[in-house]
Amino acid sequence: MSTAVDILSWVLIVPGGFFILTGAVGVVRLPDVYTRMHATSVIDTVGALLLVSGLALQAPSLLVVFKLIVILALLFFTGPVATHAIAQAALEAGVEPQLDEDRRDRIVLAGERNDIQKKQQNPDATGGVQ
Amino acid sequence: MFYVATASVLLALILLVSRAIAGPTLFDRVLAANSIGTLAVLFLAALGFLTGRPQWLDVGLTYGLLNLIGTFAVLKFFRHGDLAYDAEDEGD
Amino acid sequence: MNVQGTGGGIPVEGAAYAGPVLDGVPVEQVLMMVLLTLLAGVTIAIVRQRKMFGVVMLAGVYSFLMASVMMVLDAVDVAMTEASVGAGISTVILLATLHLTKSVEYRQVRPVMVPLFVSLIVAAALIWGTISLPPFGIMEAPVHLHTTPTYLAAAREHMIPPNVVTAVLADYRGYDTLGETTVIFTAGIGVLMLLKGRRRRMLGQLEKIDADDAGGRV
Repeated sequence: MSTAVDILSWVLIVPGGFFILTGAVGVVRLPDVYTRMHATSVIDTVGALLLVSGLALQAPSLLVVFKLIVILALLFFTGPVATHAIAQAALEAGVEPQLDEDRRDRIVLAGERNDIQKKQQNPDATGGVQ
Repeated sequence: MFYVATASVLLALILLVSRAIAGPTLFDRVLAANSIGTLAVLFLAALGFLTGRPQWLDVGLTYGLLNLIGTFAVLKFFRHGDLAYDAEDEGD
Repeated sequence: MNVQGTGGGIPVEGAAYAGPVLDGVPVEQVLMMVLLTLLAGVTIAIVRQRKMFGVVMLAGVYSFLMASVMMVLDAVDVAMTEASVGAGISTVILLATLHLTKSVEYRQVRPVMVPLFVSLIVAAALIWGTISLPPFGIMEAPVHLHTTPTYLAAAREHMIPPNVVTAVLADYRGYDTLGETTVIFTAGIGVLMLLKGRRRRMLGQLEKIDADDAGGRV
């Protein structure tokens, strides 16, 4: 019985640690404030849930389980609220989200590529889709 | 297994502290500080289980609440310039 | 995994308290090294930071790291005080101070060599002072040989508080507790005074009501 509980704890704690590390790597590597908020929300929700559930299975008494549940509820409630407040404050302060440039004029469909190559080789011909 | 939990939370802390130091805008730092607070609570929980003292969860609860208040204080101050700003008093 | 070492119990005679040793890795020392390195990094970043808001945020991060260092050193009450005062209240008070000053630090025109030299002298004196302290937690430390048995014997004799820890905190080291309570209470009063900026606005609204009643001619 205790080995089953131990295995379940491992199954919960290792992915929890993995998601927390993923969120942290995301905060370091993502390009913009707004995209980094996605990464921190991973830490707040999935990472905390898996880690605290895994710890709660190993708790010595029921009071500790109750405290862990209260901590989890606190993180669930305060995490998204803080993210929302930071996003709104950043928008009000004028931090521009980093948008990719409009690539629509650079997208070439497969059928048009031959036309463009033909036009480059022979600038006078006007065939195909303009 | 608590060793794995503590190590992963510690590595995440190192990465987030580097973002708090290097973030170009203020909001990067506010975001990183808020997440460091969340990771602080998880770190205290994992460390408490690691050393066999789950009583440290109380300190984690305290820190979780204060982290939220601190984040809101910074954002409110940066937006309005006054900590006693009340939205009802404006626009009368 | 097996936990060797003391793990929070009575220190072994003659050996320094190394904390739990999990499968050959000294947990406490690794944690302390990582946390102290992070502290040094955050301190250097605070010194080099020019924008004041960034300094406030980094000060919050610094006080969290300090609180967790105190947790690893087994001082839970000091850690809770540091977390509440440093993370919550000190941030708020620093922000209110920023309201009255500029938000970018002035560039120093005086040379920084003299303050640096003074800092290095003070740091050398502190390091020289702490080297001669006994290792952390061994049984032959003076605090364990002289003061602790006195407290234990006296507390058992008087038996008014329910346990020895309360007796030490409230009776034998009562001034220390008084100081901490004063700090937290003062911080709370300071924050309340910061948040009570409504009186000017209340008076302004009263004047506006009078002006409306008199048809705008007050």
